[in-house]
Amino acid sequence: MRDSLPPSIIRRPALLVAAALCLPAIATAAMSRGFDRLLEAVVRIDVREIEFADGARRFTGGIGSGVIISNDGVILTNAHVASPQAVEISVTLASLERVGAKLVGWDHWTDLAVLRLDLDEVKRRKLSFTAAEFGDSDALFPGETVFAVGTPFGLTRTLTRGIISNNRRPFEDTHGVRGYETGLFNNWLQTDAAINPGNSGGPLVTEDGRVVGINSRAYIGAENLGFAIPSNVARRVSGELVRHGAITRSYIGLVPGVLQDLEKFYALAVNTGLLVNGVDPGSPAARAGLRPGDVVLTLNGQKLDGRFPEQLPPIQQSIAILPVGATVQLSVKRGSQTLALTLQTEKLVSRVGEEWAFEKWGLSVRKVTRTYAREHQLADDTGVLVLGVQPGYPAAEAGLEHGDIITKVGNEQVTELDRLKQVYRAYEASPAPQLVEAQRDRRISLYVLKP
Amino acid sequence: MNPFRPWLVLLLLATVPLRGATLPELFQERLKSVVEVEFFIQSEIDRQPVMVLGTVIDDQGTIILPGPSIQPTVAPGQLKEFKVYRAGNTEPTRAEYLGQDAFTGWHFIRVEPKLRGELVPITRWPAMKSAPALSEELWGIGLRGKDEDFLPYFLLSRVATVMKLPQETAICGSDVAGPGLPVFNTAGEFAGLALPSFGQNYLLFSRNQHGNPIMLVNVEESSAVQLAAEVLPYLHRVPETATGRPLPWFGAYGLQPMDPDVAKLLKLENQSGVVLSDIAAGTPAEQAGLRDRDIVLAIDGAPLPRLKPDRVVAGYFGQQLLLHRPGETIHLTVLRGGERREVKVTLGSEPKLVREADRHYFDRLGVTVREFLYADAISMRVAPSEQKGVVAHFLKPGGPAATAGLRPEDWIREIDGTEITGYQQALDLLHAVEVDKERSEVVFLVGRGAETAVIRVKLI
Repeated sequence: MRDSLPPSIIRRPALLVAAALCLPAIATAAMSRGFDRLLEAVVRIDVREIEFADGARRFTGGIGSGVIISNDGVILTNAHVASPQAVEISVTLASLERVGAKLVGWDHWTDLAVLRLDLDEVKRRKLSFTAAEFGDSDALFPGETVFAVGTPFGLTRTLTRGIISNNRRPFEDTHGVRGYETGLFNNWLQTDAAINPGNSGGPLVTEDGRVVGINSRAYIGAENLGFAIPSNVARRVSGELVRHGAITRSYIGLVPGVLQDLEKFYALAVNTGLLVNGVDPGSPAARAGLRPGDVVLTLNGQKLDGRFPEQLPPIQQSIAILPVGATVQLSVKRGSQTLALTLQTEKLVSRVGEEWAFEKWGLSVRKVTRTYAREHQLADDTGVLVLGVQPGYPAAEAGLEHGDIITKVGNEQVTELDRLKQVYRAYEASPAPQLVEAQRDRRISLYVLKP
Repeated sequence: MNPFRPWLVLLLLATVPLRGATLPELFQERLKSVVEVEFFIQSEIDRQPVMVLGTVIDDQGTIILPGPSIQPTVAPGQLKEFKVYRAGNTEPTRAEYLGQDAFTGWHFIRVEPKLRGELVPITRWPAMKSAPALSEELWGIGLRGKDEDFLPYFLLSRVATVMKLPQETAICGSDVAGPGLPVFNTAGEFAGLALPSFGQNYLLFSRNQHGNPIMLVNVEESSAVQLAAEVLPYLHRVPETATGRPLPWFGAYGLQPMDPDVAKLLKLENQSGVVLSDIAAGTPAEQAGLRDRDIVLAIDGAPLPRLKPDRVVAGYFGQQLLLHRPGETIHLTVLRGGERREVKVTLGSEPKLVREADRHYFDRLGVTVREFLYADAISMRVAPSEQKGVVAHFLKPGGPAATAGLRPEDWIREIDGTEITGYQQALDLLHAVEVDKERSEVVFLVGRGAETAVIRVKLI
């Protein structure tokens, strides 16, 4: 299934224009005042951003939607619409006025990003806007009527109507948001309201205009299988992003599997247990001795029930919200034994590290993170991953390729991206050949970057 | 009398090929050195027929086949019913498989005595004393398939270039012989053996696509010829065992060429080298004190040659090692941190290979499991001392294990919650599962890269 899922609405969400042009056509749809207010809060977002592909730093553009959620100009959108690589964000209000905005923070795990309107500009130009209101996504029932607001394929002011098809759809993707992980910690709303490229970041609302979800992705090529982040998740995440600019989560390295039908095999009491499908090497769970095939019965005294896929994200979330370094007590069933394991959580780190381009080398890189190193069984997180090289430039001429991990340049171990930046600055000041050590599949090769 | 006549005769004598034979005559004669060989690779559920070309190398009916004829993971026991056919003759003669030589890569077979009198070893023909000159004409033999009665045909081309890859190889302008068959000069001297064909780069244009680069490989003929000097000295390397043992073991799994720019920067102008890495604990290389990033510059006092492309030197080094036997000592000159040092390595014996591993097929589960090998530990990045579990070697398509999501090369670490510590234990457990008709499922814990998964196989 996952393979058939294109990055949906990700890269270049088409035009979405505020659907709040006080539309006479909609009036006939017997819309409530709440709905009018909602339409006034929907915005279009134009993003100019940097991309570090093919050995260069390039500017690209993207367009998406968003919804204003507070009177001080906080806008909620998708992480795949606005990320830290954005250099310029411009927001088109319902009044067709364009205002600048800044990224407050993003969270690829929930595919949410928060922007703030340039309030000085709003004041100076005497502009006005409305904030939408949240509804309670937990109160949604399958079959409830919902509307998606957005600009699919550039068709402005498009409202689509459907129902909640499922209010607890698990959806996990290790590369889903710009190559970042997503969906591990929350279930999604599934709707048959038509969601197409361009709907990204726009709200999913009930008939009274309350935001119950942020439209995020759809199966392309399927008929009306769209997905939205529940508003209760969005509310919590946006609040934290406004306060701290980022979300800190706890990590223990347990990869759960569904226990579905395996209770008998593990001789478990009914409706109990979380199957450990994998344990990340070197993670707190691994160090504590947790093993794949174990069944976790309780976590800090709480009984776990992970029989079905949709039961896993809430369990993951219950670990993620613990303070980093918190102690976790697990009661684990292994064969006929029951073990008590204690471990301390670590900070959750993405497998995608900071990206950069060294333009005179024609080399774009991404820092190896702890998570990437574990995933690829590297000794540690030293090094940068080559994202791309520009043909004809020193890196390409030296023979470096996408996928190589540069561990040393000159005498400098590349433990941090900054160390490579230092070497590069020295090279810029006085270009001289640099010896580069890189590995691919644990095999070490030497290269020379020549001016 | 015409005074010029005797001169004319002399002139004719000088230009007529050796022993006075014409090309058609030479062709007919040399045909006795070539055969087509048919065999089957027996797998768990089917047998795959293979047809390859071979060259006769001695009077005992020994025939060599190109290395790539058989995948390295195929166990000798899976090779069945070798049959030898002569050019233009559909009468099969049985042969036995002798094994593969690690250095040359050739597979050796020996045909039954009754055919031996009909064959002439390649060593019977005179060999060229030196490499063919650029533009020199070479010719060779091709053989059609079984349905065309192994009809022989004549191929002719000219030498375009001679390269060290690392063996000296002549590349002809066009196809010159069937892969694995001999090539001669116009005097009928043995010039070398045709290698499996190199790929040719082409652009593929179609109605709505611009030229897409593709590579074409001719499987019936080849233009690459390994020269006689690289063939004749190694014909005696008839394997002692079907698995090709004894095999030396060095134990550095990363052998990367040092490119000329790197050499220049390290002030090693005009030197060639191999960068060592991925040296596992307990290997001969590690015990000799070699470390990751050591650059090998010479072996037994002989500097590594500069070869083109650069990467060929790694293959050269690997092959030099294969010329030794386990227990022999080699002397390496390595560069470590700018300093040269001499390192003595006593080669070990290659750990058990996939083709030698014990394996067993379980029909009800639809899976073949094999022993966990040293090479598995290397590829799965675990300490070789922690060799546990078994490996899923083959999965019957659509079988219960494949349907449940088990994949080839999965590392089976637990069966029904029992940790697997040895091959026999895994066999016993799986055998018990197979015979227990009441059984409806079996649960595997498998490793795959850095991930693990619990896989439940439903039995039918």
